[in-house]
Amino acid sequence: MNVIVQSTYYTLYQDTQQRCFFVDFGQKMVRMSLCQLLSLRQKVMSISIESHFDSDLNKHGFEVLMLCNKEHLFILNTLEILDLKRMVEQGFVAMGLSAESELVSA
Amino acid sequence: MKDIARQSMSIKVESMDLLNAQIKMEAHASATYLAMASWCEQNGFFTSAKFFFKQTEEEREHMMKIFNFLVDTGGSPVSPEVTDINHDYSSIVDVFESTLEHEVAVTKSIHNIVKKAREIGDIATERFLDWFVMEQVEEENTIRDILDMIEITGTEGVGLQMIDNQVAKWID
Ligand SMILES: [Fe+2]
Ligand SMILES: [Fe+2]
Repeated sequence: MNVIVQSTYYTLYQDTQQRCFFVDFGQKMVRMSLCQLLSLRQKVMSISIESHFDSDLNKHGFEVLMLCNKEHLFILNTLEILDLKRMVEQGFVAMGLSAESELVSA
Repeated sequence: MKDIARQSMSIKVESMDLLNAQIKMEAHASATYLAMASWCEQNGFFTSAKFFFKQTEEEREHMMKIFNFLVDTGGSPVSPEVTDINHDYSSIVDVFESTLEHEVAVTKSIHNIVKKAREIGDIATERFLDWFVMEQVEEENTIRDILDMIEITGTEGVGLQMIDNQVAKWID
């Protein structure tokens, strides 16, 4: 397995033999296809971080993240969400599926 | 290191995001034209209603074209949520003017994706959108022609019914 990208809390791996990816969430290692990774990206990117600083919108500052067709459930705090957003962004740049310019701005 | 990601997906995720937004826009257009068809039926503009029933189908086809492109390129197409459909129009002129506004907004959005795709070197997406660029030229032209016809015919007396009858020319 090769490391594609590593952030403070998370690591994204590519497994060439199994032709899939793994995300190490700390508590749990999750196997993912590219489609599932795209779906993770979709979910993570649509989380509004601003709402974490508004007690009316997000009272406790947590996000519930369901992955891989409801197989996994994570409860993440603001810092973890920010870190996951960055990991996903940089991961897609490293995989060559996202424009380089994003890496500069990240 | 074998590039599994690139082997699974042939466009950039930035293009995918913009195309998903475009899917939503086409779905919104389809729903808006359906609302216009409803308005036309209720207000006695039966030919115009037919015109908008056809437009509804066309916008749905546009949406599916993009949806299938995302499937073909290994992307992740998202089924859109469609909200805020206006059903209130002050006149048949208002209906067609809103249509032109809508089409111009769609054109701008498509051009924006073409520019972005070019910027990030996503040639597949750029070429895929060629068809949409030309389609928008046609769509805008159709609505402009109808608005010209409306202006010439005038809305006084039997004008409104004449307008409705003439819309038949643009249903093929
Ligand atoms: Fe369209
Ligand atoms: Fe259109």
